[in-house]
Amino acid sequence: MRNSLKVARWEFKRNIKNKSFIISLFLTPVLFILFATLPSLLSGSGSEEEPVTVSVADSSGVWEEQVEPYIAQMELDWDVTVAATSPEEWQSSLEEDESAALIVLDEAAVRDGQVTYYTSEETPNSFNNDIQLLAQPLQQISLQNAGLTEEQMAVASSGIQFNAEELSTQGSAESGTGQESSTGLEGIIPGAFAGLILFSIVMTGMMIFQSASQEKKEKVSEIILSSLTPSDLMQGKIIGYFWLGMLQVGLWLVFALPFAIWRFNEFPIMEYLLVPELILLIVIALIGYLLFAALFVGLGATVEDISSTSNFQGMIMMLPFTPFILIGPILSDPSGLAAQVGTFIPFTAPAVLIMRLSMLEEWPWIEISIAIAVLLISVWLVMKLAGKIFEVGILLYGKNASFGEIVKWVRS
Amino acid sequence: MSDTVLTVQGLQKSFKNQQVLHDVSFTVKKGEITALLGPNGAGKSTTIRSIMGILYPDQGAIHFTGEKEGQIPKHKIGYLPEERGLYKNVKIMDILLYFAELKDYPLKKAKERALSYLKKFGLEGKDKVSIEELSKGMGQKVQFIASIIHEPELLILDEPFSGLDPVSQEVFKEEIRLLAKNGTAILLSAHQMNLVEEMADRLIMLHKGKEVISGTMDEVKKRYASFKCTINGQNDKQQLLSIPGVTRVEQREHISVLFLNQDLNPTEWIRSLPSTIHIEEFRLDRISLHEIFIDVASDRTLSAEEEKSYA
Repeated sequence: MRNSLKVARWEFKRNIKNKSFIISLFLTPVLFILFATLPSLLSGSGSEEEPVTVSVADSSGVWEEQVEPYIAQMELDWDVTVAATSPEEWQSSLEEDESAALIVLDEAAVRDGQVTYYTSEETPNSFNNDIQLLAQPLQQISLQNAGLTEEQMAVASSGIQFNAEELSTQGSAESGTGQESSTGLEGIIPGAFAGLILFSIVMTGMMIFQSASQEKKEKVSEIILSSLTPSDLMQGKIIGYFWLGMLQVGLWLVFALPFAIWRFNEFPIMEYLLVPELILLIVIALIGYLLFAALFVGLGATVEDISSTSNFQGMIMMLPFTPFILIGPILSDPSGLAAQVGTFIPFTAPAVLIMRLSMLEEWPWIEISIAIAVLLISVWLVMKLAGKIFEVGILLYGKNASFGEIVKWVRS
Repeated sequence: MSDTVLTVQGLQKSFKNQQVLHDVSFTVKKGEITALLGPNGAGKSTTIRSIMGILYPDQGAIHFTGEKEGQIPKHKIGYLPEERGLYKNVKIMDILLYFAELKDYPLKKAKERALSYLKKFGLEGKDKVSIEELSKGMGQKVQFIASIIHEPELLILDEPFSGLDPVSQEVFKEEIRLLAKNGTAILLSAHQMNLVEEMADRLIMLHKGKEVISGTMDEVKKRYASFKCTINGQNDKQQLLSIPGVTRVEQREHISVLFLNQDLNPTEWIRSLPSTIHIEEFRLDRISLHEIFIDVASDRTLSAEEEKSYA
């Protein structure tokens, strides 16, 4: 173990001093933030529209007293001037590219409830909706003119409302199928955090592959192995890259948390994040790391030249990405068949569990326990296999190991 | 000065169905240089890897004095493998200190040693440079330093001279001799007989996994310290064989090589040559280890017959 820690420290220091690692370490959160803000910034600046210049030809004299106070409450983006202009005059006064409208409020319009308005070419479509808001005060005026009492007016103008109320089958959660979280965010934040950990350490886990393969290529392993055992070396690598992954997560959080709190200030992120469920999610992420780290360290020992790897090795490299296939089905039904199957396959289990648990309010504990048991057994198994492969593979110089050879090493 | 540090007894190893080591035994002593010789594929690296615990022999015992059977005191051993390299994009000093740390050697001392050795090998000021910026020879020097940074009691060098220019070979030879003088037990493998002849105290020659020659350098030299006489001229093989002191004759066209008895006085022997022999050219010289090596490597009969006649 002491030797493993020496190797771990070395791998950690070596990468920390490596320029490309440092660059990717800082660049990733920057890119993340950029991707998170840029689209909304772009669309935000696009929808920043000029106020509509609205001219009101108010020959009936209702605007100022009865309509404008109401409109003011609606916070419409209107720049209103009251002037007695005819449509023809208004049209001739239009400037190019001006976003303008003319509302004609004459006696007839108020009486008949038929208001004519003119718009320029540049007037946004939203104006057509906005103008509907005038209906209420105008209706009020015509009711008033009809001589109704206050009470009658209240009844007439209240209209009929439909109130939606959704009833769920609360309390009937059976056999581990929970219902979807109503607020969503409460579960998603710890889940996203655990997902970030899983993602980050699996990515650094892939660096183990490179490290083992490179050590083989640079022919250093025999010198190293004259000081320690292959399993020391393997464990050291797994621990070292785990530290790197955690450093990466830590650093990203330093960037991302304040940013997230600022960006989504309406949600109490810290409160949602620091819940007991987070511990289980992190544990799942860590087990997932161990699984992939063992896989990659064993695989790395079989590959000297990355450019001529076989399909077999390529397929294993793809394993951590298999949960992506399941994202769709899980999002649509977190308790569905795809989700459940994914839970019990060791290579998809960590990511699938984290996804599901973020969405489910009632956790399927039986499934969770079985999945974790399956994961732990697979970790143990893969570690054993990887150990055997690593021991022989790391000293095999000059070529990549074939599938047949790997099988032979495992059997021996 | 002759405490045994390492004893190898009856080593056997097979890969697939081919036996690569047949009953190899030798000892390595404190302050001595033991050379493991043999052509490519003789089993030198397999022997060394077995000693280092990287391969497991099928049979035989490897015993380090003062350790339990089967225990390898890795911290006391320095090892320069045949297939060697170093991390390419890491500073030299960092690599050397890492290797020292792996051997539990105090880092401060390691740093001092590293600097002094870098200076000794003409790499002064290169401690902050990475390997990829150095030439191959310089890289080998760094690897050599890495193998001795922790003052090992036993130093195992697998082909330390391969790929070195003559000047660097001299530097390495000098340093290996000095280490031995200071009490390090050294086991080195090589195929450059002439290099080894000058520096080894003890040698073992392997061929196809079998021990062919072994003993101290003095013993071996004594055993093979015979003369051979090369005569250019038309002569009858039987006539040459009848000359006293001649053990064997090899003839090719009109060149005859006469292998002579070991304890023979060359001047007297020349005087005893019959006048009927036709001599155009005449040469008398010693059989060198190099020749024995070549003979062994090319499966010629010389050494076998020598063994028979002198053993």
